[in-house]
Amino acid sequence: MSTGVAPDLAGTRLRLGRWEVLRRRPLWLLTAGLILLLCSLVAGIVFGNVPVAPDQTLAILAHRLLGWSGPVTWSPAAETIVMELRLPRVLTAMTVGTGLALAGTVLQGLLRNPLADPYVLGTASGAALGAAIALLVPIQVAVLGLGLLHILAFTGALIAVWLVYRLSGGSSAGSLTSVLLTGYAVGSLLAAGLALAMYLSGAHLRQIFFYLLGSFATASWQQLLVGLPLVAAGSVLILMRARSLNALLLGEETALHLGLDVRRERGILLTLASLVTAASVALAGLIGFVGLVVPHVVRIAVGPNARAVLPLAAVFGASFLVLADLVARIPGEIPVGIVTAVVGAPFFLSLLRRFRSGYEL
Amino acid sequence: MSASVGPHSGGVGVEFRRVGLAYGARQVLHDIDLTIAAAERVCLIGPNGAGKSSLLRCLAGTASDRQGAVLVDGVPLEELSRQTLARRMAIVPGQVQLPFATRVEEVVALGRLPHEHPLLGARPADRIAVLRAMDRVGVAHLAGRDARELSMGERQLVVLAMAVAQGGRLLILDEPTVHLDLRHQVEVMTLLADLNERDGTTVLAVLHDLPLAMQSFPRLVLLAGGRIVADGPPAEVITAQRVRDVYGVEARFVPGVG
Amino acid sequence: MAPRQRRTRPAKPRSGLIRTSLLLLSAAVLGAACSAGPPAPSVAPTASPPGPPTASPSGIPTASPSVAAPSPSVAVSPRASAAAPSPSLAETGFPVTLTDDEGTEVTLEARPERVISLSPANTEIVFALGAGDVLVGGTDFDDFPAEAVDLPDVATFTGVLLEQVVDLDPDLVLAAGNAFTPAADIERMRDLGFPVLVVYAETVDEVLTDIELIGQAIGRPEEATDLTAGMSDRIEEVTDAAAASGEAPRVFYQIGSEPEFYGPAPGSFIADMVELAGGDPITTSDPAVFSIPVERLVTADPEIIVVGDAAYGVCPEQVAARPGWRQMTAVREGAVRPIDDTIVTRPGPRLAEGLASLAVAIDPDIELASPPPPVTFCGS
Repeated sequence: MSTGVAPDLAGTRLRLGRWEVLRRRPLWLLTAGLILLLCSLVAGIVFGNVPVAPDQTLAILAHRLLGWSGPVTWSPAAETIVMELRLPRVLTAMTVGTGLALAGTVLQGLLRNPLADPYVLGTASGAALGAAIALLVPIQVAVLGLGLLHILAFTGALIAVWLVYRLSGGSSAGSLTSVLLTGYAVGSLLAAGLALAMYLSGAHLRQIFFYLLGSFATASWQQLLVGLPLVAAGSVLILMRARSLNALLLGEETALHLGLDVRRERGILLTLASLVTAASVALAGLIGFVGLVVPHVVRIAVGPNARAVLPLAAVFGASFLVLADLVARIPGEIPVGIVTAVVGAPFFLSLLRRFRSGYEL
Repeated sequence: MSASVGPHSGGVGVEFRRVGLAYGARQVLHDIDLTIAAAERVCLIGPNGAGKSSLLRCLAGTASDRQGAVLVDGVPLEELSRQTLARRMAIVPGQVQLPFATRVEEVVALGRLPHEHPLLGARPADRIAVLRAMDRVGVAHLAGRDARELSMGERQLVVLAMAVAQGGRLLILDEPTVHLDLRHQVEVMTLLADLNERDGTTVLAVLHDLPLAMQSFPRLVLLAGGRIVADGPPAEVITAQRVRDVYGVEARFVPGVG
Repeated sequence: MAPRQRRTRPAKPRSGLIRTSLLLLSAAVLGAACSAGPPAPSVAPTASPPGPPTASPSGIPTASPSVAAPSPSVAVSPRASAAAPSPSLAETGFPVTLTDDEGTEVTLEARPERVISLSPANTEIVFALGAGDVLVGGTDFDDFPAEAVDLPDVATFTGVLLEQVVDLDPDLVLAAGNAFTPAADIERMRDLGFPVLVVYAETVDEVLTDIELIGQAIGRPEEATDLTAGMSDRIEEVTDAAAASGEAPRVFYQIGSEPEFYGPAPGSFIADMVELAGGDPITTSDPAVFSIPVERLVTADPEIIVVGDAAYGVCPEQVAARPGWRQMTAVREGAVRPIDDTIVTRPGPRLAEGLASLAVAIDPDIELASPPPPVTFCGS
């Protein structure tokens, strides 16, 4: 592999420039994304239902997190609100946003289907059914601060994916279409179970309903301390598999010829995406739109190269969800899933029209 | 026909030793002995179901029930890691489906995957290789365009560029000219000849089009019913008698062509 | 001959897996639903309400086996086990440890001066005990008394606004059981250090006990006893007067009409109320079901229809005009009467008057010492 430039490349030098821009954009966008994330986190902590002055907020954070010992000008209520309510909440939103965006990117790349989202393999229905069962069963369980709801939602999501995986042929090179279709079928079956549970649920119907729409209202440090490492570990492992996702762009057979161990990678990617989705769903319920649209928005900007798309999707997914939660919180407590759809959809549509004209999904 | 197939700084050779292949109970390849030397340009021809694609599949490693041995560059297939194999051998896919809008140079860049650093990704050397491949194949003018919007002929060339970018000295093509018009067919064949003669790349292709195969390849291997029926220069392999026996068709040879 | 290389795996039987999964799935759902028992229909029914939303803010309890989950702390009995108030607990009754209706023990160090109510019934109770001034927060469905409307809202249909709660810094939170206040919110508030008393009545008697429990909690035990004694007397008067006629007509209490017709489940609070008011309640088929098919209703043939969703715009003329309802005895005899459902279903201080109002709807000629509050809906 010579590093020199052959004379016959002179004609392509013009093209090189254009490609350089494309290469540089990801880093640029990543920096912008990180700044946006930081601002979102700060905004999420400063604003809320109860006004706490920004300077007080920052003072509380500095005091509790950095050990700053200045004069205490705030009330204990303000401190509780900032440290026990808002901070875990925005961090949970960040975690879930990252997880869902990454899972969506992985599943879109793995299934080579632009309409795939983290829930396409039945995870949503599995988690919802698990949550519904948890709400119906009058058992109080607390493991590491997680209630039965979280545990069953998490397990339900994983069971659903496992079912889909086994029923569609497992790790043998079964066609991806069959995986998708099996996911749809299993999801529908579990949704029927959920509908039955809702019918029989009576007073708990409301809770199940709000779980289905997603919410960060009861985010707490305990849940975060269990959920965050899961999502973080999964996310890091996913980021390291960018190469596999790229190889899969032209299909599994081509990926094989490009040197990828397709069978193994398929299993790994599926497991990681499912784990991260299950953890996100256990933390916050079913929040749609993030996993589907954030990867596409990122691809419009930087193309389908997973090395760029994955980290950008993580950062922008996190910011998006933190901001969506802020918007959901201020007027009352709108379920955040409504906000992500109502706010995100028009934005996405306008992007489709403006950039990459003719960007077909 | 058995030139040495040891490691070669130029092309890569392939050897099939008593290779058989079965799909379940059906045996599609019987006892194939075939040696392709480095820098050769060989075309597999034969009627439908003769086993041409199956033979390629044995080489690509996607055949699960294979008998016999396949050696690439003198090394048995099983002893080569997928990645090493991908660096030596490039298989040009047929028509590809792209789920997302992908630029031409991004498609070609996929060919560098076997060489990319696991964490850093594409390095300057890789990007140079991509540009060179695009130039070599003649698709540099398509850079920046969405690969899905290209004509079939252009897409085939892009995919060929991807294989060239892979840097392997063995190029495998399964029916590369199926949907191409005359001009593109000629372009592809010329390109293959160029890659073979100038760079020493070994080329193994499967073609249906007899006249095209006879014109473009110095060596033809005729397969029928899972066995090699003939192997040699086109004039020797394709005779009226052979065509009648293998294809069941009467052929007339026009002097001066092929 | 080189050895064959088998890389295919034999096909695994998949039908067994599917069957097992289906069985497990159905078992899980049915098992969960059955063990949950018949919970209260506090969400299901209503016509489109212009005012309070579908969540039936009064939290209609049912006389079902205890649905509310027993909490991890010591649960001696799932009912409020506050002892009868003795004189020594009058003003200096603190600190006191009370067991709420979910079996959780709640300790109050001193007499609460900042109380948050998470249900309209609890709000009414606190006001009725003369302690309205200690209330610092209520729900957005609080509508009685008039002062309750002005209380800062800390709970809405979607749940509790935790930031508001923290900001108001209460020393007692009165929550509503049976998931009216989401369990997760109750847990969060307790984690944040606020004493939360969960109140949930499944029968009329339990409503009285709850009033006394709250009375203890806010340091007004005597006012509570007085209130419950008065209510008890009125209830007794009404039940006696209702029983005096010797008849128990078939009564259908219509809880809601959209999208299906909703009536009381067997053994539920409303069924209990109808019985006390001198009627024979027509119920749904199962404690867990709140909708009633028209055929079942027609077969049961109510003699009296009490329109519980009159507040949401459903009036007797509409009911009478429904297809298939015309042959019901109640419709033929014009015994379709609206009622203010908040006093009938809300487990608060006006319940006795609600019972009276229900008795009058069932038998307009009933003789009572004093009339119940008039019904102002549907121009009646």
